[in-house]
Amino acid sequence: MSREDFGEEGARPFAFFRAGARAEPGVANKPILVLEDVYKYFRVDQPTLRGVNLTVERGEFVFVTGPSGAGKSTLLQLIYRKHTVDDGRILFSGRDIARLTERSIPYLRRNLGIVFQDFKIIGHWTVFENVAIALEILSMPRRLVRARVAEALERVGLSGRGDALTDTLSGGEQQRVAVARAIVTEPALILADEPTGNLDPHLAIDVLTLFEEINATGTTVLFATHDHSLIAKRDHRLVSIDEGRVVESRRGLTTWAGGLHSVGG
Amino acid sequence: MDLKAAVTRARRGLREERGLYLVAVSSLAVAFLCLAGVLLATQNLSTMAARWGQSGRVSVYLAGDASPDDVTKLEGLLRGLPDVARVEHVTSAQARADFLEHADVGAALGQLPPEAFPASLEVTLAPSATAQRVDAIAGRVKSFAAVTDVETYRGWFDQLDTLVSAGRVAAIVLAALVALCVLAVIGNTIRLAVARRRQEIEVMKLCGATDGFVRGPLVLEGTFQGFVAAVIAILVLMVGFLALKDPINATVAALIGVRVAFLSSWMVVAVIVGGAVIGAAGSALSVRRYLDV
Ligand SMILES: Nc1ncnc2c1ncn2[C@@H]1O[C@H](COP(=O)(O)OP(=O)(O)OP(=O)(O)O)[C@@H](O)[C@H]1O
Ligand SMILES: [Mg+2]
Repeated sequence: MSREDFGEEGARPFAFFRAGARAEPGVANKPILVLEDVYKYFRVDQPTLRGVNLTVERGEFVFVTGPSGAGKSTLLQLIYRKHTVDDGRILFSGRDIARLTERSIPYLRRNLGIVFQDFKIIGHWTVFENVAIALEILSMPRRLVRARVAEALERVGLSGRGDALTDTLSGGEQQRVAVARAIVTEPALILADEPTGNLDPHLAIDVLTLFEEINATGTTVLFATHDHSLIAKRDHRLVSIDEGRVVESRRGLTTWAGGLHSVGG
Repeated sequence: MDLKAAVTRARRGLREERGLYLVAVSSLAVAFLCLAGVLLATQNLSTMAARWGQSGRVSVYLAGDASPDDVTKLEGLLRGLPDVARVEHVTSAQARADFLEHADVGAALGQLPPEAFPASLEVTLAPSATAQRVDAIAGRVKSFAAVTDVETYRGWFDQLDTLVSAGRVAAIVLAALVALCVLAVIGNTIRLAVARRRQEIEVMKLCGATDGFVRGPLVLEGTFQGFVAAVIAILVLMVGFLALKDPINATVAALIGVRVAFLSSWMVVAVIVGGAVIGAAGSALSVRRYLDV
């Protein structure tokens, strides 16, 4: 696979992945994410992930769970190429992201929306600036940026708060800013790493609902959490990481339009 | 790389790191001021050297027993040379009188015999005469029997030339030192700026920013610091120059016959452009070094 597959600077990479964009025939019915026998070693003697197999269909909502230290974050980090797999393949829309060159990684990430437990928003920036940065990176014209950010803020329930400094917002609101930043580019896949970990239970449900609303518009969501009360409230597909492998705990059928596909294990 | 976005971000960076950049620009300005000062001194010295070298004088000392015929012949020959403006015959007695009149000497020197003051032909050269030409004239005149010695005052020019060359070397060495200083200061500033913006940089990279997107503003900020520091240095030097110009012109310059001048405009441009370029180079280097996110 050449670097050109992921688009050069200025071009819109993976444009066909965007929600609402017309999918190319053949691409549309490919799973958005396939992990094949993925190994990740941080210590030689003890792999964090040992032979993970997982297939995620377009439009799915998947809970990723497992005890602390199981490797949930590691799994997501492999997908956005913070780390590289030591063995196996990760196919994002059919392309092996492990083989991307350093220079292509930004173009991969432009197709992902990432949300973290610690929000990773810039406190001394305004809400608008925190969201707009994702579009400025794409060299989007200012007027378009304004319109798209306003739209994203509306979706997360922060209309009209664009001028507020994010430092002055509550935790729940800050996480909404982070979600707005993740969805403003209309990515095909959202990776959420314990996005409710720092929120009280009531706000956690709110944020989960927000992700479900985003999922309802066609965006695939990978939601890592160890909060079983949250998982229990919904019947989404649930994969657990145990002993470095993925165990399919439950197959949610409500949001899974792709029919029965063979999934990991 | 979207230049407009980079400029916007750089302006924001400069605003947010005001304190940090103020310190950096001040140190850089001092460095550039030293460099510009040496350049100014060298430039004036070399103007002086050029001026002195041009208003050349040659003293042709005559033997005590030289026949008046020979002297007249020699005088005529000198007058006929293209580079010679004026020839004046100074007799031994005139030389002695001149010396005693101008020099504040004691009685002991007043007792010197006339032989101590040889007669001479004082030759004033045209401004176009080059050093080589002066040497050629001196060589030719020396072969005359009536001539005992020829003084071209070249030693003085040579000394001044040495001073000018030393100034040039000092300027080059200083330029290198200033470059190192700028690299160090900018490098350190960028390191601090990167540390302070670690979270912003992380967020940008996670959103798919290329290295160029992250580096661009930092390099622009470094360029701007170098540029501003050079401009400040030039302005400070100019203020100092204007303050000292008149006293210098009234004393030293009046004696030498040369008026001091400020750096030529191309030199000013060179210092400012150089400041911006070294600022850009310094920040590009350190951004590469400190920015492996
Ligand atoms: N960069 C790293 N360097 C070394 N070890 C790491 C690194 N990242 C993760 N690990 C190790 O890999 C294992 C899995 O970590 P990971 O963060 O993926 O767990 P997790 O399931 O997300 O846990 P938590 O629920 O606490 O967030 C841990 O043992 C951790 O120490
Ligand atoms: Mg984790």
